[in-house]
Formats: sequence, C-alpha cells, structure tokens
Amino acid sequence: MIKASLLLIGTIFSLTGNICCANDAITVVANTQDRSIYLNRQEVRNLFMGGAQHYGLHAIVLPPNNQTRVLFNTKVIGLTEARIQSYWAQMRFTGRKRAPHEEISESSVLEYLKNNKGAVGYLPAGITIPEQLTVIYSNI
Amino acid sequence: MMYRIPYLLLVSSLVWLSFAPSLYAETNDKLQLSGFARVVMGYIDDKDAQYLGYDNSVSVDQESLIGLQADYQILDSLAVTGQLIGHTADQRDSGIEWLYLTYTPTNSLRFKLGKQRTPFLNYSDVIDVGYAYPWATLPQQTYPRHFFSTFDGLMANYEISNSLFVMDIEGYWGYFEDDVMIAERQMKAETDDLHGLINTIHINNWTFRGSYHQGKTSVEIDDITQFSNLLSQIGFSESAKSLATDGLTEVFQFSASYETLDYFVRAELNHIHADFVFVPDTDGYFISTGYNYFPFTSYISYSKNETEYEQPANDIPLGLSPQLDSLAYGYLAIFDQLPVDSSEAFTLGTRWDLQAGLALKGEVSLIRGKANDRAFFTFDDADFDRKALLYLLALEWVF
Repeated sequence: MIKASLLLIGTIFSLTGNICCANDAITVVANTQDRSIYLNRQEVRNLFMGGAQHYGLHAIVLPPNNQTRVLFNTKVIGLTEARIQSYWAQMRFTGRKRAPHEEISESSVLEYLKNNKGAVGYLPAGITIPEQLTVIYSNI
Repeated sequence: MMYRIPYLLLVSSLVWLSFAPSLYAETNDKLQLSGFARVVMGYIDDKDAQYLGYDNSVSVDQESLIGLQADYQILDSLAVTGQLIGHTADQRDSGIEWLYLTYTPTNSLRFKLGKQRTPFLNYSDVIDVGYAYPWATLPQQTYPRHFFSTFDGLMANYEISNSLFVMDIEGYWGYFEDDVMIAERQMKAETDDLHGLINTIHINNWTFRGSYHQGKTSVEIDDITQFSNLLSQIGFSESAKSLATDGLTEVFQFSASYETLDYFVRAELNHIHADFVFVPDTDGYFISTGYNYFPFTSYISYSKNETEYEQPANDIPLGLSPQLDSLAYGYLAIFDQLPVDSSEAFTLGTRWDLQAGLALKGEVSLIRGKANDRAFFTFDDADFDRKALLYLLALEWVF
C-alpha cells in the first residue's frame, strides 16, 4: 500500500514536473540565412536588452502583459517587468538605446519574423516554427 | 535667469496628456515622440528647517517636472534628438535639456554631438526621469543637486559584447557655461576642457561602472576676486591664492549593482575634488537593497557624505596692527561662512508599479547632520538639531 502510494505521488510529481517544464519553455527564433547561429542565455539576454552583437539581428518583443513575455523575462532576462520598463526608460531618455519593436501576439510575431530579415523574437516552445526560420536558443 | 513652469501648468499638461492617445508613438518610421513626468509631494516634520526646499507644509513644487523628447531619424546612421524639460522648482532652469546629433557608423560605435547631460555618476544623466530608478529621490548625499548639469560637446560610445559580458566604454569632451548655486550663492560658472571616461560592464546579474571626469572651472565672484587681488597686492600671496576662483575639478566614481527577479543591491561612491574656494572636497556613498514582490518593490538605503574645505592660509599676521587684524579677520570670516554639508540619510520606501510606464513611490528618510554643519538644511535657528524626517510621495510616468 505504502509502495503504491509513493509510486502514485512520484508519478504525480513527475507529470507535473514535465507539464511545468514544457509550459516554461521558450524558443528564440530568427529570420537569418546563417543557420549555424546558436546563442547562450547571456547572449540572448544582451540581444533583447539592446546590446550590440555581430549577427545583424534585431529583437522584437510581445506586449508587457503577455504570458510568453512574462515567461521570457523570468526565465531568460531574469528581471521583473517593472525593472525592464525602468531600464528602457533610462536607455530612451539618455539617448543610448531604443526598446525593441513590439508585436501584439505570438502569431503576429511569427508573421513579422517571416517578413523581416534579421528579426528575432521569442515564442512558446510548443509552437510550430515555419521552415524559413531558425531556432537560435531554447531553454527546454 | 531661472525659468520655471507654474504647478498648475504642469498639472493641466499631465491631465491633457493622460487623455491624449499614447504619445510614445512612431508618428512615422522617422519621428518618435515620448516624454516623462513626475509629481513629487514632500514634507518634513521639523518646523525649524527646510531640506531640498521642502518644509513643514506639504509641497509639490520642488521636484515635480515634465519632459518631452523628439527623436528624428535623418538617415539610417544619423539622428537628431531634442528634449525639453519644465521644472516647477525655482532652482532648476526649464528649457532645452538635450539637443544633439547621433551618428552610428556601426552597431557598436556611436557619436553624439551637441548639448547633453554630463554623465558624472550612475544616474546623473537620468536624474529627472524618476521612473528609471526605484527611489522617490536620489540621495542628496551622493547626488548633490548643484552639480548636475549639461555640457556642449562630443561623446563617443563603443560597446564590446561577447558570450560572457557586455562592456560600454564612453568618452566625452566639451565645455559647460551656466549659472550655478554653490554655498548658497548664485554665480556664473564656466568649465573648459571638460572630459571624462566611463567604463560599464554587465556580467550576468552584475553591473559595474567606474568613471573619471576632469575640467578647468572658473566662477565669477566679484567680491572674492577683488579681495584676493588686494591681498596679493599687499603681499599675502598664500591667502590670495587660497581664494582662487578657478582651478581643476575632478570627479571619481564607482558603482556596483546586483539584480535578480526577487531583489537588488546597489551601491555607489564618489569623490569630488575642486581646486578653488567655495567648492569643498566631497566623499559620498550610498547603498540600497530592495525586495521585489510584484507589483511592489520595497527598499532600504543608507547614504552619507563628508565635505571638507581647503584650510585658510596663515600668512596675515595677527596683533601687529588694527588694519592687519581686520584684514585677517575679514579673510577668516570668508571660510567661517562656508556651509558644511556633511550628513547622512536612512531611507525606507516602496515603489508600486501601477502599470507599464506608471509608478507610485512613497518613502521616508531620516536626515542627520553634525551640530555645527548645515547638512543641506536651510534654517534660521542655530539651535536646530540638524535632524528631520523627510516624507516623499512621487508619481512617476513615462509615455
């Protein structure tokens, strides 16, 4: 009986763990001809915080209340939405950097990525990625 | 001449902007309009003193302001930026704060030419954009208000980025000319050959910034210059030299911050050195830590500064003649009247992010100074104990 209970609890933890990780997964996708590009978390963070990089990529983002954006901020950027907003206010009003272009939903991000060379955006991991786009980071 | 905007005008501008559609809009691909505003309400619990202009009655016209910025992309690599700020405070000049051209030949290199904020300290080029930092006000002990201004000149920025860190190297050169308020006196100041080097490194959750700034400053204080000339003619060259109204100004700065989703720790220290009378050598620092619990951030801070003036010379003999005695006492009186602003502040506060671009902050600071110092207070009663609580409520907005 005890064994069966432990097995059941273990199964539940295992399942919720898998659901948790699948739900938490983020894929960063780019419209680039160089299909060999694969970035680490630090490079993705720099890219979406306006850092200069060598691949000619420009980031696009989702609006502040979007769940994928919240997940991306939590798992990749590692800062709260409020702190990210403060950061962009500082960058904008000191003439250093401009905040990335914003698209309203995941489907419009995909559409934008398909139509703009060099564009890079983040999407939930389960989404189907069109053939012409390249996955350059995933936290699965 | 100081220009300020009436508080009613600020309020009506904010009301109008709140009903206007989002101003931060790409009116087309080339022109971007944006802005920021803050309404800061303050009060100190002591009826005998003022601090940063706040007194024992609730005041909203000391740090409230509105700023509008336009960025126009002339070519792919060339843009022009203008920023207008309207201050409610008497001490701050309203008008054009920034006006510069930006040339970006590569995505790592940028040049800015024109009127810009002097980037002495970590937040000095964004001091008016309260939304950009967690506190209701930057600590006076580290960010003395008289010190921050603009310069006309060239700034170059180069960014090095790799898989481990991002490094920004900034250098600038230019000049500054404006009225400043030093030691309770308003005077015209000029700084030539103003230049500095700033290095900022981001590594994971850490950010470090170190900088050095230097300039040749001269101020116009006619009575001091005349007195100095008189001392020089009589032969008291050391005393005359100690009343110099021009000399080298240097600023050293270092800051570090560590930020995660849950909390932050930020610290900054600086040393200001000036080779002329009225501007003391100053060491200042602050440390602040905060805890994030969406949509709130609560923080505690401690800031402290120590200021020290050059010691008066002693080449005017005392007791030889009444004329020399009065000359010596007149000379020493200049140094006796210089206000010492050494002080410390303990701060406790909370920021509430109401929505993207809008935040409300409340904080209370205990300000303390030594018995004989001014400690940034303004007071008439010499028995004032140099201790007061400052309450601030700030609404911060970027649009």
